[in-house]
Amino acid sequence: MSHSEVILQLSGIHKRFDELEVLKGVDLTAKKGDVVALIGSSGSGKSTLLRCANLLEQPEQGDIVFRGDAVKWAANRAGRAPADADQVRLMRTNLSMVFQQFNLWQHMTILQNVMEAPVTVLGQPKDQVEQRAVQLLDRVGIGDKLDKYPSQLSGGQQQRAAIARALCMEPAAMLFDEPTSALDPELEAEVIKVIRELASEGRTMIIVTHDMNMARDLATEVIFLHQGLIEEKGTPSQVLDNPKSERLQQFLSATAAH
Amino acid sequence: MCGDPSTLEGFQWLICYLSTGKHQKFYMSFLVVIGLLIAVAPLALAMGFGGALAKRSKILPLRWLGSLYTNMVRGIPDLIFFLFVPIALDQLFEMIRHKIKCPEVTDPIYQGNDFVVCAAAKLPLGNADAWVHNVYGFVMACIAFAIVFGAFAANTIDGALRAVPEKQLETARAYGMTERQTFWRVQLPQMWGYALPGLSNLWMILVKATPLLFLLGIEDIVYWAKELGGFKSDRFDYPHPDWRAYYFAALMVFYLLTTWVSEKFFIRLNQRVNVGRVGGEL
Repeated sequence: MSHSEVILQLSGIHKRFDELEVLKGVDLTAKKGDVVALIGSSGSGKSTLLRCANLLEQPEQGDIVFRGDAVKWAANRAGRAPADADQVRLMRTNLSMVFQQFNLWQHMTILQNVMEAPVTVLGQPKDQVEQRAVQLLDRVGIGDKLDKYPSQLSGGQQQRAAIARALCMEPAAMLFDEPTSALDPELEAEVIKVIRELASEGRTMIIVTHDMNMARDLATEVIFLHQGLIEEKGTPSQVLDNPKSERLQQFLSATAAH
Repeated sequence: MCGDPSTLEGFQWLICYLSTGKHQKFYMSFLVVIGLLIAVAPLALAMGFGGALAKRSKILPLRWLGSLYTNMVRGIPDLIFFLFVPIALDQLFEMIRHKIKCPEVTDPIYQGNDFVVCAAAKLPLGNADAWVHNVYGFVMACIAFAIVFGAFAANTIDGALRAVPEKQLETARAYGMTERQTFWRVQLPQMWGYALPGLSNLWMILVKATPLLFLLGIEDIVYWAKELGGFKSDRFDYPHPDWRAYYFAALMVFYLLTTWVSEKFFIRLNQRVNVGRVGGEL
């Protein structure tokens, strides 16, 4: 493992929203094949950290390095902003995100959703993308819904379509932002099954989750965030079974209770 | 068969009466109204897009221009705008032509209360056919309508662009789309669903505003209804009492039909643009 390529490295990430400092200096490294689970109570900054990874949020301080390429910054009135839009886009096309609310484009069919970014952004030939998209949708179990619109599908089906959309980019890593939190338990299971398969293929993933079972089963590393700082990190058994800090113990007993 | 109207009776008289030259002009004037609608709708939509994009522009002077345009039209009564625009444009064009075509004339254009340009600068030219005058007046009316309705459309489109959920745009950016791609691929197609109720409303108002043509001196359906419906003494070929009520009733039927057809059309269109929207038709 130690020799595998570092896909994404964040260091000293600070992010504030007006007066509220959400991240107070956080590091995260994802090597090829890693599954990093970010856990913590709401407001701990775990989603914000994930969104900093593809620059949907722009941290005021800290470095983001994607495959050895550090994000370039330029000073502006608000502090700083990414200097190179092409670099940001290259990162984003390689770090496909799966959102809590699925965020499928409502005016496109499922197939169009999956094909959109590879065709429009990557400029890949349509027929080739279509072939891949159909295969991926088949694989996540909604091959019969190609021509449906997102609003015609259940939440679980929409999230699986969103995962297919992410996969169709053939990304270096996938970012999951609480992928099952908006789903009923029975729909949750079908999405977890897909994520589990992806993990077993050795895909690099960073997953923000409330689901401790998923973190335990899939993660190579679990990071517990508390009030914008990393309170504890390690293997799932270290963090989830032998928590050292009192806050993590409280958090785990609270999540186990429901 | 309509040789001598005084010998005609009943139904035949009516048929002949309704096919006089003036009545044919009356029927043609319906086409003028429909022509105005067909010309103004895309013009106003284009002005609306221009206005909305200007209001959202990153360039400050463009934003000012967009806001000035929409606020000015919104704050000024339509009627005044309709009367102002053709006169102002006409004088502007003539002034420009005057400077180009008659540089040798040194007299001021404004002489007291008179606006005087040389003959060659007149629009349309003094010796132009009547139809040129009509077309010129019609084009001026179209421009006035497009400016006024474009401003309303700009507000509707601007609001609809804002109504597209931010999450949809953020997702586009997260997948590497440029701002331009995000606009054309996601924001604009989703905008229509939010804009259409407002735009269809504007269309209805536009339809109902077409009698303003009459005020601009264009021989539209209102002009002819008044003209033909009025009392006709025995000096006329087809004398009749005051029938204006019937003529205006015919106009009401025309407008009701037009708005009814429009409504059907917009219901269909709404179903189309709302495909896939939560709560939309499928």
